[in-house]
Formats: sequence, structure tokens, C-alpha cells
Amino acid sequence: MMRRPWFFMMAMLFAASFANGQDTPVSDQAEQIKALLARVELLEKQVAELKAAQVASAAPGAPAAATPVNPAPSAQPSVQPVRESQTQTAQEKVRQLETQYPSLQIRGFADADFSATDQKGTVSGFNLGELDLHVASALSRKISYFAEVTFNAQPTGYAVEVERNLIRYDYNDYFKLSFGRYHTPIGYWNTTFHHGTWLQTTVDRPNLVMDGGTFTPIHTVGFLAEGNIPSGGLGLSYNFGVGNGRGALIERPGDAGDINNNRAWVAKLFARPAKAYGLELGGSVYRDKITLPTGPEYREWIYSAYLTWTKGAPEFLGEFENVNHRNIATNAVANSDAFYTQFGYRLPWFERSVKPYYRFEYTHMPLSEQVFAYQPRVESIAGLRYDISSFAAFKLEYRHLASHAAQGGNPAQPALNAVFLQTAFTF
Amino acid sequence: MTYTLKDVRAFLAVGFFLLVPIHNFSSGQSSRDRDVAVVVNDDTPVDDLGLAEVRKVFLGERQYWNAKLPVVLLIRAPVARERDVALRVIYQMTETQFKQYWVAKIFRGEVTGPPRIVYSNDLQYELVSAMPGAIAFVDSRNVHPGAKVVRVDGMLPGDKNYPLR
Repeated sequence: MMRRPWFFMMAMLFAASFANGQDTPVSDQAEQIKALLARVELLEKQVAELKAAQVASAAPGAPAAATPVNPAPSAQPSVQPVRESQTQTAQEKVRQLETQYPSLQIRGFADADFSATDQKGTVSGFNLGELDLHVASALSRKISYFAEVTFNAQPTGYAVEVERNLIRYDYNDYFKLSFGRYHTPIGYWNTTFHHGTWLQTTVDRPNLVMDGGTFTPIHTVGFLAEGNIPSGGLGLSYNFGVGNGRGALIERPGDAGDINNNRAWVAKLFARPAKAYGLELGGSVYRDKITLPTGPEYREWIYSAYLTWTKGAPEFLGEFENVNHRNIATNAVANSDAFYTQFGYRLPWFERSVKPYYRFEYTHMPLSEQVFAYQPRVESIAGLRYDISSFAAFKLEYRHLASHAAQGGNPAQPALNAVFLQTAFTF
Repeated sequence: MTYTLKDVRAFLAVGFFLLVPIHNFSSGQSSRDRDVAVVVNDDTPVDDLGLAEVRKVFLGERQYWNAKLPVVLLIRAPVARERDVALRVIYQMTETQFKQYWVAKIFRGEVTGPPRIVYSNDLQYELVSAMPGAIAFVDSRNVHPGAKVVRVDGMLPGDKNYPLR
């Protein structure tokens, strides 16, 4: 009769030990670092005690015994030199960590790619992606400068582009004002990932915000006000910008000057609710007057809305955009729409470094569209991203692209299949 | 001297009753003893923050205590317990995601730098004491007397439902 209780107790003992073992970190390296940190703290305490004793013994009439490092308020007057010494040491450390102005920081993003398609007349091969240099410099506690310059490989050399170039004044969390060239706050992607391919899950940007594309005015030259809106747990923020709008080439913002006397404006409102950490939703409106080099002028309205969940497991991005063009002379109106939805999921293995993803894109353009080149398309991409380190990733992606048949019997283009391999990194 | 099976059983039983309390004391300390306090510089005009507000501050979404006092984020180096708790409860990120988050944040032009890294509790205490607007996570066992500890969701370290543990 006694055997079972004994056996039960032994089993419990082993189970308890095993369960405890499961809770503790398994990495030897981590344990070693922890031990070293503990050792550093112990040594710090010893140094502080030695300093205290030294100062106390140097002070006239001070007791020989070591003075407490953190004396109680009722401590004897002889500990004053200790406090002064500690304060001086702290001030030295603070000075070392304080930001010196200007404090220039340079970071780069780059990628190397391989692509192969079944499109007739194209060849497979390697190519260098975008080399993107980002500069951030605090000029004072409230003024900072940001710049982003890209280098893109061309058949005869490299195309250099100043993507962003702005100075920002922070008054407080509710009002920050920038001047210069910035990414137009339309939708989500354009102001979240900019030009660093490493930052985005996929190999490329969605068609509606494609760099060099026309659907969204990617850049604006002018000013931008931004900040939080006191809204409690709703987490509201805003952007409001005024700038030159589209230039003579509608994909460019008119860096050297506006093409007409009309300023474009953009307003964006978005929320990051406190109770749903990872969720962001927002909408924006953009207004401009387009003057094409051939003469016609158009009023442009762009409406966009988005919903994102960016915790990684899962990741969801969804964005919709409507572009309305009205010919000022004829009042002819055209509405083009585009949207994408992207899903990703960081798998729980390999320290969550593997993320499969899928994106669907759709662009609708009516034949009456006169500002954009006619490019209706449907696209699906599926891929896998593997973060080989904290700052480098491999991406493998399959893409299927079709231009759908539109109104008026316009024939669809042949479908295109492509495979991409990319390594993207930051340095 | 020979031992019978009964003696061995008795020995194991005594060992069991001795070991379990030692085990509990050494590795299973009360979770309340391991709470992580949110400590701020004395001049920082906050006494009580909601957990969501602490998250907002440490995510860099709230960068000013008021128009004249910017937030200075301090965070312990990797492997420190305070950092583990911050990543698990506040950021809900892995170490890699945390690094990527700040690279992206700087790249977007939302901040000019990541939180300052500190390598020991003493240094952290000195910096919080000396830098106006500083805020840091400190193991509640290492909070120095006189340090300004902020309530989180109205609770202090040691309280029953304190969220940072």
C-alpha cells in the first residue's frame, strides 16, 4: 500500500523540477551574459563603496567606516562630500550620453535581386536594386533635418534622386512643422516604408504607390504639419500639407517650382487605438490642379482609406484609393480606383524570422481617363521572407500579373508570370 | 551499516520536503518581488500612467511631457530582466523586431534616435536622476530610495494586478 504514495511523491518531485527547467532560459550564452551583468553591478557597488570610503576618510572629522552609498535623509553631515562626488560622476556620464548638436546619423538600405519572367522579349538575370541613403540630424532639441537620396542602376550609369529633404520643427506632440520635399501622406504605404525595401515585407511596392508611377503623387514640395490629436484611447493623429502638387511630369512634384499658380493640399487623419495595439486605420484627401504640358488642365481629387494590423502574426495591410479627374474645359470626369490587400504571418519557429505572405492588387481605369496612361491590372504575389539577421532578409516571390479587359472591348494583355529573389538589408 | 528499502524511502521523503521549499525560495520567488517599476526623473510631471500610455511613450509616439520637456527613453541592454519585461509586455516584440522597429521609426523621420541603452542599474539610476524627462524600467528590488516611481494603471510594483512583471 505504501508504494504508490512514494511513487507519486517522487513523480511529483521530478515533474516540478522538469517544469521549472522548462521555464528557465535554455541559452548558455544568455546565462553567461546575465552572470556578467550581475558581476558588473556588483563591481559597480564595490567601486561606489570604495569611493564613498575614500571621500569620507578625506573629509575632516569623518568616521573611518564606509559611508552608505544611498544614505537615508537623516544621515550625518559627513556624507555630503559623497553625494557631491556621486553627483559629479553622474553629471559626467550624463554629459557623455547627451546629444551633441548637430548629431548626424547616416543609415543605408540596399538590395540585390534576381528576376525571371515568361514575358516574350525579356531575359532573366541579376540586377542591383535601389541604394538608399538616409540622413537624420538633430540640429537642436526641437529642430531636426532628414534627407533620403537614392541611386538606381541604369543602362548607362546611375540615376540619383533626392527623395526627401526636409527640416522639421517640433513644438510638442500636437504640432510639428516640416518644410521641404516629403512623401505625400496619402494612404499608408507611402509614408511607412518609403524607399527601403528591407522595411517592407515584399520585394516591391504595390502598383498604386509604385515609385515613378503616376497613380499616387509620391512626393510633395511644400510644408507639412503633423501631430497627435488629444483623443484618449482612440489615438488620433493628423497630417496636413500644402505644396506644389504634380509637376509637368505628373509623377514628379515640381522641385524647381510649381507649374501653375494653384497649390495642392493633403489632409490625413488616422487612429492607433490604445486597446488594439498594432491596429491602424485612416483616411486622406488630396486636392490639386494638373496642368499637362500639352495644355489641358484637370482638377484632381484623391480619396484613400486604409486598415492595417502590423503585429506580424498575422500582418494585414489593406489600402484603397480613388482618383477623380475632371477636365476643366469640358467637365469630362474619370474615376480610377486601385486597392491592395496583403497578408503575412510570422511563423512561430526560427525565432519568428520566417514570414510567408500574399498580396492581391487591383487597378481599374476607365477608357475616359486622360491624365494617366491606361494601365488596368490584376496582380497576385505570393512569397516568403526570411530575416537572416536583425538587419538583413532574403525574399523569394512569385508574381502573376494580368491586365484585365476593360470597358469598350479593350483586349486584355497576356498574363505574365515572374519569379523574384531578393536580399535586402540595412547598414 | 546496511540500509533497507524503508530507510531509502525515508531519506527521499525528508529530502523531498527539504528540497521543495528551497526550490521555491531560490527559483520561484513571489512574482510580485520581480515587478518592474517605471521610474522617471523628479521633474517629470507624471505620477500615474495607463499601461497604454506607457506603451505610447516607449514606442516614441508620445515624445514630450510638455512643450518644454522632451521624453528621454532609457532601456537596459539585452538580457537584462527589465528589458525582457519591456519587450514582452510593452513592445510585444522579439529582440529583432525591436531593433527593426527603431530603424524604421528613424527612417520615417519620426525620431532622430533610438532609446539610450544602459548597461547597469546604477548607471540607469544616475541617468534618470540627472536627465530631465528621463524614464526607465527598473527592477523593483533595485529601486533606489527617493526615486520617483510612476503608478501604472493606478498600481505600484507589488500590487496584486501590477502589469509589468
